[in-house]
Amino acid sequence: MADVEVAERSPLTTEDQPHKPASRTPERALQLLFLVPAVAYLLLFFGYPVVKNILMGFQHYTTSTFYTGEAPWVGLANYSAVIGSAVFSKALVNTALFTIGSIAGQFVIGLALAVFFRRKFPLSGVLRSLLLLPWLIPLIVSGTVWRWILDQDNGALNRFLGAAHLADRPGWLTSTSLALIAVIIVNIWIGIPFNATILYGGLQDIPEELYEAAEMDGATGWRAFRHVTWPLLRPVVGVVLVLGVVYTIKVLDIILGLTGGGPANATQTIATQSYHLSFQQYDFGQGAALGNILIIISLVFAVLYLRANRKAVDE
Amino acid sequence: MRMPRWAYTIVGVLILAVLLFPLYWMVNVSLQPGGSAVGTPWLPIHPSFHGYSTALSQQGRNLVTSLIVALGSVVFSLLVATPAAYALAHFKVRGANLVLFGILISQMVPGIVVANALYSAYNDLGLLNSIPGLILADSTAGIPFAILIVRAFMGNIPQSVVEAARVDGAGPVRAFRSIVLPMSRNALITAGLFTFLFTWGDFLFALTLTTTENVRPVTLGLFQYIGAYVNDWSSVMATAVLACIPAVILLLVAQKYVAAGTTGGAVK
Amino acid sequence: MPTRKTVLTVTLTLLAPLALGACGGGSSGSKDGDASTLRVLDYYNNEPDKTVYQKTLEACGQANGVTIQREAVPGANLIAKVLQQSSSRTLPDVLMLDNPDLQQIAASGALAPISDFGLSADGYIKGVVDASTYNGKVYGLQPITNSIGLFYNKDLLAKAGVKPPATWDELKTAAKALTKGDQYGLAFSAPANYEGTWQFLPFMWSNGGDEKNIATPQTAAALQLWVDLVRDGSASKSVLNWTQADVNDQFKAGKAAMMINGPWQFPVLNADTALHYDVVPTPVPTAGATGIAPLGGETWTIPQTGNKDRQAKAAKIVACLNSDDNQLALGKERQTVPTKTALLDKFVADNPSMKAFATIVQTARSRTGELGADWPKAATKIYTGVQTALTGGAPPAKALEQAQNG
Repeated sequence: MADVEVAERSPLTTEDQPHKPASRTPERALQLLFLVPAVAYLLLFFGYPVVKNILMGFQHYTTSTFYTGEAPWVGLANYSAVIGSAVFSKALVNTALFTIGSIAGQFVIGLALAVFFRRKFPLSGVLRSLLLLPWLIPLIVSGTVWRWILDQDNGALNRFLGAAHLADRPGWLTSTSLALIAVIIVNIWIGIPFNATILYGGLQDIPEELYEAAEMDGATGWRAFRHVTWPLLRPVVGVVLVLGVVYTIKVLDIILGLTGGGPANATQTIATQSYHLSFQQYDFGQGAALGNILIIISLVFAVLYLRANRKAVDE
Repeated sequence: MRMPRWAYTIVGVLILAVLLFPLYWMVNVSLQPGGSAVGTPWLPIHPSFHGYSTALSQQGRNLVTSLIVALGSVVFSLLVATPAAYALAHFKVRGANLVLFGILISQMVPGIVVANALYSAYNDLGLLNSIPGLILADSTAGIPFAILIVRAFMGNIPQSVVEAARVDGAGPVRAFRSIVLPMSRNALITAGLFTFLFTWGDFLFALTLTTTENVRPVTLGLFQYIGAYVNDWSSVMATAVLACIPAVILLLVAQKYVAAGTTGGAVK
Repeated sequence: MPTRKTVLTVTLTLLAPLALGACGGGSSGSKDGDASTLRVLDYYNNEPDKTVYQKTLEACGQANGVTIQREAVPGANLIAKVLQQSSSRTLPDVLMLDNPDLQQIAASGALAPISDFGLSADGYIKGVVDASTYNGKVYGLQPITNSIGLFYNKDLLAKAGVKPPATWDELKTAAKALTKGDQYGLAFSAPANYEGTWQFLPFMWSNGGDEKNIATPQTAAALQLWVDLVRDGSASKSVLNWTQADVNDQFKAGKAAMMINGPWQFPVLNADTALHYDVVPTPVPTAGATGIAPLGGETWTIPQTGNKDRQAKAAKIVACLNSDDNQLALGKERQTVPTKTALLDKFVADNPSMKAFATIVQTARSRTGELGADWPKAATKIYTGVQTALTGGAPPAKALEQAQNG
């Protein structure tokens, strides 16, 4: 057995007696080696962009800068300009509503679907795979199809609502009160496969024996969920929620494709306004400043996640 | 609530019918003659396949490119991310939280900033218009995500199992390969699935990092039919439908492997 | 379970594309002095434009002894590409820009004035030259242009006994008379982007409104026209979301009897032989007023690539694209209007369907003529004000004031 051990072990750990605890340094080095490729990749691909993005918020960065490289330092001028603009407070409220609405909708529906698919029934595997179809469609296509479906005059949704006498041609994308709701619904539609699939994977990792043991103690249905499922699912739930928030706050293509931020800024979020400032008004400094504000908001959630994470590990 | 099995199937089909209605609409439009989308009837009564013939003849190569890049990205991302996820989940590494923090920040940066930086670097390194270049770039979505997901799943693997293996004399690498990886099958498949989907749907890097039509993922190829003023929607939708097919097959195969209870029984 | 064999297979899979990559694709564009291949960047990425320009560029290349290496990107992404290439100093030799974007790029110093190469814009339509002029120097030559006008469905108008409207009052009456069932009298495009601004400009300018300050009674009156049309049901509320392509789809399907759109729609409309339509200039405020429409079209520029030989050759290509023959050919094939005033009569004689637009572009105005690189801010204010008024958020005068000061 000693021969096999030597052959399998990396050259870094060359103890004679495998039963003695490995010496600190080679073990440590080996452990770090697990992390090195990932950390190197992240630094290489994200290090420069992250720093550059932060700096751009403090510079006067225009199309000229791309060619000349000159970006005069303006301190907090960009930030005061974007925060003081008329659209900022609206964008902030829209971002909050959009994020909360989307996450709530897609998490609850996703979890319900994940639990639903736990039971083995014919075609469950096929249906689960088909659930991911929305992600296989390029966003430009899904955005366009939803625009047609939500069209006030001829869209499929209004035709259906009219035929079923439920509503009389609401202006989903043209009314300032409905547009944000419409955009949230589409975003939930996109988020459901993501939440459902990951939560399903998490549910699958919970051993069946625990449910059986709980059932013997008289806990089924909701109580089993609270005492068996939820505690073991929490790490997965945590990561799904924090990623959900980080991704949703950044959502751009769906809103641009559906309403372009309109009508009259009813669906303008901080992300879309940042894009507008950078790529339609060519003021990249202000766009980056808004983008950085978005990052700060996401960071709050990231910190909360890490705190909760640390607590869980200590338990 | 004990319903017969087939009742679940019916409910499942109904749920999916509602959720996938927009996709049905996509297929509907792809079959409409005339390429526009006003007053589209509910059913394609007079199907026209011109969209599909256009798509098949022009996008075949792009589909293959997309597939290769997506699969390559999955392999690369999982190779890099899985050991890191394990280290962050189980080793008491100083600065683990810092790494996690960094990963989360990387997800908050707008993609265009990363794309701009990569364009300059790739241009200098000669990586533009190359498949490995695209694989590396698209992994910017997969690697951070995979690390986070796999780490969350691995958190459920009890330390005792790994420790038992270590006491039996396995080095950390062996313990990782023989014990942890098999127990993380669900995690790896889920992470791999979404890495595939992120890469499959990527438009930004496809646009930024290619300048010729030789290496052109289908998300970019689609735009051939979308002009500034006039759109050939049948071809667009047909391309999107065709692009789904190989991906759905892969998904079906992968989903079979997300089986229950891979961590169960290990503690015994 | 990852066996040694799996690891080996995986590693080989990873290395294989690397090996292929080393043989295959390389970097774009050679910076060396060899002027026999010129790089071109434009946004004609879809048919029929793609083939039309490919043919034209190749012919120009052949005539001047160069090979053309062309990259066509989707329209919305052109500027992002240009900026990336600016910062890595890999700008193409010939760069096409949508005419309102020229100001920004010229301001950065990335373009060379065409006079450096002996080219001039004499004899071109004034508005077109204005668009390509920055700080008194001309930086691009635009071979063809277009604008927007009022399309009407001849059959529907005849049935309702309505003449094509020429003034705003006539437009309101005609649109109302033509609205019945699920058919709207008029369709136009007013989304939250520069397309919405573009469609509003003829109404604003013809009434004396100006982009320097949109909070004026003249602009408010123009906006009031739009608000009235939507309020009395002659135009759908969906105009707030429709693109010009969507508007065309509505017109084609008979859901709108009239529409504001441009000549690029001719091929699509002509494909439907049952549809009989015609074009008149956009209605003006009062009889006899001059209509002022916005100028469209793309201009060809010569970036500073640091290589005089290549730039000289690039200038020849730009000149070739703007030759009389090419202007007439492009105009004919792409349903656009040549920009050299001397060619207009001949062009209309050969292409009678373009008569209305040939008239419209002669009094048309460029969007960046007054504000130059500050146009995008003004354009945003315009569509914001328009949308606020159309959604009923504020009366036109107030909406424009809010937008102007916001």
